[in-house]
Amino acid sequence: MDYILNRGARTSGNIEVHRYHGGTVIVAAFLALILQAFLHKYGRWAELLDLPLLVTIYFGVSQRNPVSGLFLGAAIGILQDALSHDNPIGLYGIAKTWIGYLASSVGARIDTEHPASRFGLVFVLFHFHQVVLAFTQRVLLNRSAPYFTPRLLLDSVVSAAFAVVLFALLDRLRRPS
Amino acid sequence: MLGTFSRFRPLTLLVGVVLAQVLLLAVQIKRGREVRLIRYWAVELMTPAQRAGTWTFSKLGGVWTGYIALHNARTENEQLRSELDRLQLRNRELESEAAEGQRLGLLLNFRQGHPEASMLAAQVIGASADSSSHTLFINRGDRDQVRRNLGVITPEGVVGKIVEVFPSTAQVQLINDKDSGVGALLADTRTHGVVRGTGDPEPRMDYVVNDEKVHPGELILTSGEDRIFPKGLLIGSAGGASPASPFQLIHVHPAARLDRLEDVLVLLSQQELTPKGSGESSSVVPASPPPAATVDARAADTSKASASAPGRPPQPNLGKPSANPTRRVNRTQAPAVKPAAPRP
Repeated sequence: MDYILNRGARTSGNIEVHRYHGGTVIVAAFLALILQAFLHKYGRWAELLDLPLLVTIYFGVSQRNPVSGLFLGAAIGILQDALSHDNPIGLYGIAKTWIGYLASSVGARIDTEHPASRFGLVFVLFHFHQVVLAFTQRVLLNRSAPYFTPRLLLDSVVSAAFAVVLFALLDRLRRPS
Repeated sequence: MLGTFSRFRPLTLLVGVVLAQVLLLAVQIKRGREVRLIRYWAVELMTPAQRAGTWTFSKLGGVWTGYIALHNARTENEQLRSELDRLQLRNRELESEAAEGQRLGLLLNFRQGHPEASMLAAQVIGASADSSSHTLFINRGDRDQVRRNLGVITPEGVVGKIVEVFPSTAQVQLINDKDSGVGALLADTRTHGVVRGTGDPEPRMDYVVNDEKVHPGELILTSGEDRIFPKGLLIGSAGGASPASPFQLIHVHPAARLDRLEDVLVLLSQQELTPKGSGESSSVVPASPPPAATVDARAADTSKASASAPGRPPQPNLGKPSANPTRRVNRTQAPAVKPAAPRP
């Protein structure tokens, strides 16, 4: 577990693997979940952001280990389901498992330190997350969930922009190499 | 295998984790009529396998029961055929016994309904070898106190009379025999005549003048004038009547089924039978009130029957030769039989 949460994966090549202080990932994930629940109390504008998604993407990209990334995404997603009102456990878990895996896989292959690449990565993964979420709802829950709407486009842009700022803040929590 | 797993470990784990969560979702989700998705999937997954298993086992069972397990079917089939033949034979025996019981029941009812007359039940055991004569043999004879010129009847009607007596059998001349004659009268007009056999299945009634109106279906009864049959027994009904010289030609439909006789009653006396209540199959047709002699004979018969079986009605000897002829009812009342030719 320590390997997954703190040390990250060792990858080949010149891609740098970042490390964090102990408990950083756990605290950040919990904070994201709490803030997400907390901000929902103050209006629908909070729905523009999916903080657990951003945290999953960030630590997946930073650790660059698909195994740890998918487990982190699964854990965050299941907790997010647990905190929701009417979502069955596993709905967000499945989507964020995919996100953690993909983010780690992408982070192991390309440089994700640049703000533009982070923006683009979050933008793409946001929509992929939505596609998985809608597909799961349609197939398993028999619900009508959209794959894409203009509102989702706005959300993805806002989330990507917010992620550039958030990721820069989270970079400060890295242990010096 | 392990090498492949290590190589694709992240992807394998991804699939495993996603599948685990899908199953987790399936456990929670309910579809349709409150059926959890996991059960729905499980049933959908298992049903083809169960169906295939059932099909396989049914085919295997069919092969077993249809081919392999039939090694002793031939023997069993033969046994069953034998059993079927035996049961069919037994069934026919029982049917025959039931029919016989029904006939004997009718005779018994008729006999018990007329205790004033002395009767003897008999079975038809043979018929004449001569096709031109209508006679038959019964299993009663001289040992049973059967004499010539005793009347033979069935509950349906008159059959004929005894013409020959042997030690254990007797020959009965049917009323349609060409030498037969029975004193008769038309029930409606009380016109007397003689029912004579012609050799045909149906006899005819003679000595009725052409002026008499005879209606088809009119009953023809015994008149008692032949001193063989008591008065009032049903012979049959009138068929067609046609004028002839010097008397009418009246065809008679016999009431008794002369071609299917199996059990008959021999009248041991010319005692007139008293008509009974409605519903009883009887050859006795209401006529004049019984004479005093009938009442006396009935009393004597009843007292004798009571003496032989106290508290029980008299049991007639039906169809089988009696080992003790002295037990036969009204033996003492057997008439002094006189051969009598029918008189017009």
